[in-house]
Amino acid sequence: MSLAISLRSEMLKTRRTASFWLALIGAAFIPVIFFLVYVLKADKMVKQLQMMPWESHLFMNWQVFNAFLFPMFIIMMAALVPQIEYRNNTWKQVFASPQSNAEIFFSKFLAVQGMVLLCVVSFNVFVILAAVVANVIHPQYSFFKASFDWEALVRLNLRTYASVLGISALQFLLGMRFKSFIAPVGIGLALLIGGQVASGFHWEHADLIPYSHPTLTLQSIAQKKGGWFVQHEYLSIAYAAGFLLLGYLDLRFRKEKG
Amino acid sequence: MTPLIETTHLSHRFAGQPVLQDINLRVEPGAIYGFLGPNGAGKTTTLRLLLGLLQVQQGEARLFGQDIRTSRLPILKRLGSLIEQPSLYGHLTARENLEVYRRIYGADKARIDAVLQLVDLAGTGKKKAKQFSLGMKQRLSIAIALLHRPELLILDEPTNGLDPNGIIETRELIRRLNREEGTTIIVSSHILAEVEKMASHVGIIHKGKMLFQGTLPELKHMQQGKSLLQLDTSDNEGALRLLQSEGAERKNGHLVLPFTGKDGVGRVARVLVQNNVDVYLLQPQQNDLEQLFIDITSGN
Repeated sequence: MSLAISLRSEMLKTRRTASFWLALIGAAFIPVIFFLVYVLKADKMVKQLQMMPWESHLFMNWQVFNAFLFPMFIIMMAALVPQIEYRNNTWKQVFASPQSNAEIFFSKFLAVQGMVLLCVVSFNVFVILAAVVANVIHPQYSFFKASFDWEALVRLNLRTYASVLGISALQFLLGMRFKSFIAPVGIGLALLIGGQVASGFHWEHADLIPYSHPTLTLQSIAQKKGGWFVQHEYLSIAYAAGFLLLGYLDLRFRKEKG
Repeated sequence: MTPLIETTHLSHRFAGQPVLQDINLRVEPGAIYGFLGPNGAGKTTTLRLLLGLLQVQQGEARLFGQDIRTSRLPILKRLGSLIEQPSLYGHLTARENLEVYRRIYGADKARIDAVLQLVDLAGTGKKKAKQFSLGMKQRLSIAIALLHRPELLILDEPTNGLDPNGIIETRELIRRLNREEGTTIIVSSHILAEVEKMASHVGIIHKGKMLFQGTLPELKHMQQGKSLLQLDTSDNEGALRLLQSEGAERKNGHLVLPFTGKDGVGRVARVLVQNNVDVYLLQPQQNDLEQLFIDITSGN
């Protein structure tokens, strides 16, 4: 499998870069804040979390994470991975090595997704840890007594991931295209704010904007608990496929490489 | 024998401006081919076309007998390259930089130590590539190109920006690879003196056109026909008349005639002395190949 070989090479390149730490810090940020609130304002929070502690805890964390931090992390990561080549002036060596255009393009996309995965998995761990450790410090919390809905958590993860796929593919296309780091991140940030406004005001066509999808997923989960993928999440996956194809063709038919 | 590199009528344009015109490059197996030309002559463009970094617009480029347009991957598997500045990941060590490419080329782990030894970077340990001197970076880039024991090495100005020591080391490395591993090497440069010391074949390119291609002896032979003997005497007018048959002429205020070897110099001196003309200066122009290079590239 030469794609696996290319992916391995991509993962090696991310060693000691900011990407790895960004994934961990991005994942830890919100759970740490909630943890501090739980520990420092225990009397108030114990009351608030008496009914369905896990559901409330998970939803509060995911709400902040999903709405802004996670899409922003993806926007940064999709630019950072291609930036490794631009910054070191190494594109020419990559294109002069025996890798097909598809291997070069998709191994980098998978490297971005690997970082995204690292971020999401660590976020889950930190969220659960925040509640568990807070409960150990303040036994009044009822996390240990309440049941934990693993299925709901898996659903939350998968639906959120599906909702950001469109963004990640479009941002990756931009990151591969632009030599500068600022351009794709700036465009991404502007579109993300646009998407949030559209979904915040419940614009009827918000589901057409990939950048609205994470918020739409949150809204959908808040309204009716349970349920699997809804329309805009399928649309996000379709966008991802479309943008990936576009990005690949752009690379494939570039007249000058490296 | 099929040449390892063969371009036929290769031409290229950037934004309508021709940068290469009808380049017919031919590199035979086992050669060290010095690809010479001033900056901006089209050397890098030619090499980028050979590597598939630029799309061939007109003409044909074949490596190992295969067309780069249709057989890019099989060709790239068999060669190593270094184009312009070193391409390294600054945040990685020498070993990690090699590891990035090791699997892609299917080289085994032992090769990493071998090539590090070969380019004298085995002792760099945890030092990051961005802390390397330019010479070390250049050598590490060559090490990457050597990972899979390529049959052909394409080196674009590998000594550019190096100090004299670095230049000598790189030259020695190129010669050793050619001698010991039988690697065919095409190396571009804008300094003739440097190419002269290692190349078996030379191609001279200027303003996108190939002006000369052949072996180094052929180039030297061509130079002999062109170099001049400079002369100063007590009676330059008289000397000019006496040496008419030798092809003497005035050039930039100096009396010159074609240099035909030591015998010619002796003959000229004898003629002048026998006719009571005092000889103050009689010297072949020193600039040998360097002068030829300038003549070739400025005459067109």
